[in-house]
Amino acid sequence: MRISEHLRLPLIWRVPLAVLVLMFLVSAVITERVLDRLGTIQETYLQNIADSYLDGITASISPSVLREDSWEIFDALERLRPVNTKIVPVETIVTTPSGSILAATDPVKFPSLEKMKDGLIARFPEKKIRIEDGDRLAYLHRDIVYQNTTIGRIYAVFDASLPLAERRNVLSTLIITNIALTALLSLIGFITIRQMVQPMQTLERLMSEAVEGRGRRVDVSGRMARNSETRRLFMTYNSLLEADEERRNLSRKLAEEEKLATLGRLSSVMAHEINNPLGGMLNAVDTLKKHGAEAKVREVSLDLLQRGLQGIGEVVRAALATYRPERQARPLSRSDFHDAKLLLSPDLRRRQQTLELTIEGDDSFTCFCPAGPVRQALTNLLLNASAASGQGADLLLKAVKREDGLMIEVGDRGPGLPAESVKLLTGQTYRALPERKGLGLWVVRQVADEIGAKLELASRPGGGSIIRIMLSRSDITGETDHAS
Amino acid sequence: MSIRPRRKSATALSRRRFVAAGACLALATGLKPARALNGPVIKFGLTPVFLNNDLQLLNALKAYLGKATGFGIELITRRTYQEVTSLLVSGQLDAAWICGYPFIQFRDSLELVAIPEWNSKPLYQSYLIVASGREAQTIADLRGDIHAFSDPNSNSGFLVTRTLMFEQGFKPESFFRKTLFTYGHRNVIRAVASNLAQSGSVDGYVWEVMRELEPELVSRTRVMHRSQWLGFPPIATSRKSADTGKTHALQAALIGMANDPQGRRVLDMLKLTGFAMPKERVYDGIVRMVDELRGVL
Repeated sequence: MRISEHLRLPLIWRVPLAVLVLMFLVSAVITERVLDRLGTIQETYLQNIADSYLDGITASISPSVLREDSWEIFDALERLRPVNTKIVPVETIVTTPSGSILAATDPVKFPSLEKMKDGLIARFPEKKIRIEDGDRLAYLHRDIVYQNTTIGRIYAVFDASLPLAERRNVLSTLIITNIALTALLSLIGFITIRQMVQPMQTLERLMSEAVEGRGRRVDVSGRMARNSETRRLFMTYNSLLEADEERRNLSRKLAEEEKLATLGRLSSVMAHEINNPLGGMLNAVDTLKKHGAEAKVREVSLDLLQRGLQGIGEVVRAALATYRPERQARPLSRSDFHDAKLLLSPDLRRRQQTLELTIEGDDSFTCFCPAGPVRQALTNLLLNASAASGQGADLLLKAVKREDGLMIEVGDRGPGLPAESVKLLTGQTYRALPERKGLGLWVVRQVADEIGAKLELASRPGGGSIIRIMLSRSDITGETDHAS
Repeated sequence: MSIRPRRKSATALSRRRFVAAGACLALATGLKPARALNGPVIKFGLTPVFLNNDLQLLNALKAYLGKATGFGIELITRRTYQEVTSLLVSGQLDAAWICGYPFIQFRDSLELVAIPEWNSKPLYQSYLIVASGREAQTIADLRGDIHAFSDPNSNSGFLVTRTLMFEQGFKPESFFRKTLFTYGHRNVIRAVASNLAQSGSVDGYVWEVMRELEPELVSRTRVMHRSQWLGFPPIATSRKSADTGKTHALQAALIGMANDPQGRRVLDMLKLTGFAMPKERVYDGIVRMVDELRGVL
C-alpha cells in the first residue's frame, strides 16, 4: 500500500472537506462578482452626483470665472455645497486654464493665486470619477467652457467613505453569510456522509468478524437498516453469510466423509495386513496341532505366531492412533511417521514401490505438533504420491526439525502437480471443493489451514515433486488448542 | 452699511436658510408693496447686505414703519451701494439707508432724514481685519495680500483703507496682490475668516455686532487697525422729496422708534440705541477723506 493511500482521508471527512473547498470557491466567486457589481453601481451613483454637482457649479460660477472674481466663486461654492446628500464634496478648487487657483472651498489648503501642483492635478481624471480606497475619496475634474473656450477648471474631491463603508459592510456580510453557509453545508455533508457510510462501516466490521470466524447476521428490521438500500445490502450480507456457513458445513461433511473413506480404505488395509499373517498363523496353529510335540516345530510355529500377532498388533495400534479422537490431539512423534509408512505399505507392495523414511533431529519436536491432523495430511499426501508415481518408484517421507519448527517433505516420481492442484495447495484461502479429483489434496489444505501450517511445492531431484508441510513453532503452539 | 443683526432667539434659522430666504425676501418685499392697492407707499431702500440677514428684522422694521407712518412700506434692495444710491438720487426711492460716503458724493442731491445711533453716538469706525493668528501690526504688513473690500462706495469698507494707503504712499495697483469686492461687510469677515483673503476692510459696527451673533466666524479674525470715529451710515432722501409728508412721517417714525415698544424691538435687533435728527458735521471726517482722494480715485 502506498504512503498516499495511508494519508488519504476517510470518506466521512473527504466529502465535508470537498464541500468546504467548493463553498469557499463559490463564495469567493460570488463575493467578487457582487463587490464588482456593487462597485460599478456605486461608481455610477457617485459619478451622477459628481456630474450634477459640477453642472451646478459650472453654471453658477462661469461668469465669475470669466471675471476671475475669487469672492463670487468662493461664495458660490459655499452656497452650492450640497446638504441633502450623504455624499458631499469635501474639496472644490477652481482654477484658471493655466492652473492658477481662483478660489477653493478651503483657501487655507489651496490659497488663491497659487498654482495647482502637477502631482495633485494628476489625481483628478476628467470624465470618469476615480475612487481611491486608501483615503476614501473620489476625484474628478471638469473644464469650464464658454463659447468653445476653456476659461477655467473645477477640481472636485468627494467623500467616498459611505459607498466604501457600504462595500465593506457588504463584504463582511457576504463573508459571514458564506462562512455560516459553508459551515452548515459542511456539517450537513458530514452528517449525511456519516449516515451513508455507517452501514458500510458496520458491514466492514461484520465482515472482519466473519473472517475471524465470528460472523453474525444483521438485524435488518433495526434502525440501522431503515434505508431500503442499506436493508438490501445487509440482507445480501446475511445471504452471503448463510451461503458461507452452508459451504463450511458441506466442507465439514465432506471432510468427515473423506475421513470415513480413508477409514474404509485403512480398514481394508488393516484387514489385508491382518489377513496376510493370518494364513501363516493358521498354518502354524495346524502345525502345532499336528507336530506340536516336536520342540523344533513348536518353536518355529510359536515364533511365526508371535511375529504374526505382532504384525497384527502394529496394524491395530496404527489404526487406533489414527482414528481415536483422544489420541489425535497428542503431540506428533516419530512413530506417527512409521505408522504412515506402515499404512501405505499395501499400496507400496501393489505398485512395487519403496518409501524412504528419514527423520532428522531429536524427538523433542513432538511437544508442539498435534498428531491427528498431521497423520491425516501425511496419509493423504503419501496415498496421492503413490498413486501419482509409477510402478517401482521410490517415494520419500522426510521430517526435519528446524529452529522455527518442523518441515515435513513428501516426494513422488510423478509427472508434476497440475496447476489446479498447485493453486489448491498454495493459493489464497481456498474453501471451494474440487469438482472431481483432488479431494485428498483439498483435505490436506483444510488440515494445513486448521493447524496454521504452510504448504510449499518443490521439484524433486531426479524427477517428481516434493510437497512440504511447514509447521512453525508459534503456529503450532497457537493452533493446538484450536485444532483440538 | 451692511449689518447682520439678529436676535439670539432666531439662531435656529441657519445661515444658509437666511441666504435663501433673503433672496426670496428681495422678491417678496421689494416687488410687492404691502398697501400698494390701498394708498400711498413709502419706497424705502436698504443696502444689500441688510437683506441677506434676518427676515424677522425686516418684517419687524416694515411693520413698525408701516404702523408709525401710516403709509404702506415697500423695502427696495439692490446688490450694490451704487444701485441704491442711484435709485435714491433719481427719485425712484422715497428714502434709503445708505453709506456716509455716497451721501457725501451726492451731497447736492440728497438730504439727511435721520442718523442711527450706536452706543448712543452717531459714530462708528472702519476696521482693518486679518486672520486671528496673523502677527501683522500695521497696514505695511499687509503688502502682497489678497485684500477684501466691501463695496467701492462703502466708507468703512473701502474709502477709509484706500485713504490710509494713500497717506502711507502705497500704490493701490501694486500694494495688494489682488483685491476683492464682496458687496457685504459680513462677506468681508467670511473672506478673511476662510483665508480666501488675508486681510479685509470692514464696518466696525458690523464686526462688533457679529462678534455677538456669530462668535465662531468672527473669532477667526482679528482687528489689526481701527480708524477714527466717523459718521454712521444715515437715512437719506432725495432733495426733492425732503419736504414731503412721507419723509416727515418717516423721520418721525425713525426718531420715535426708541420710544415705541415695537420700535424698541427693531432697535434691539439692530443693536442700535435709536435714531437722531441729522447733523451733517458728523460726516466731516468722510468729507476730508473724499477731499484728500479727490483726483486720485
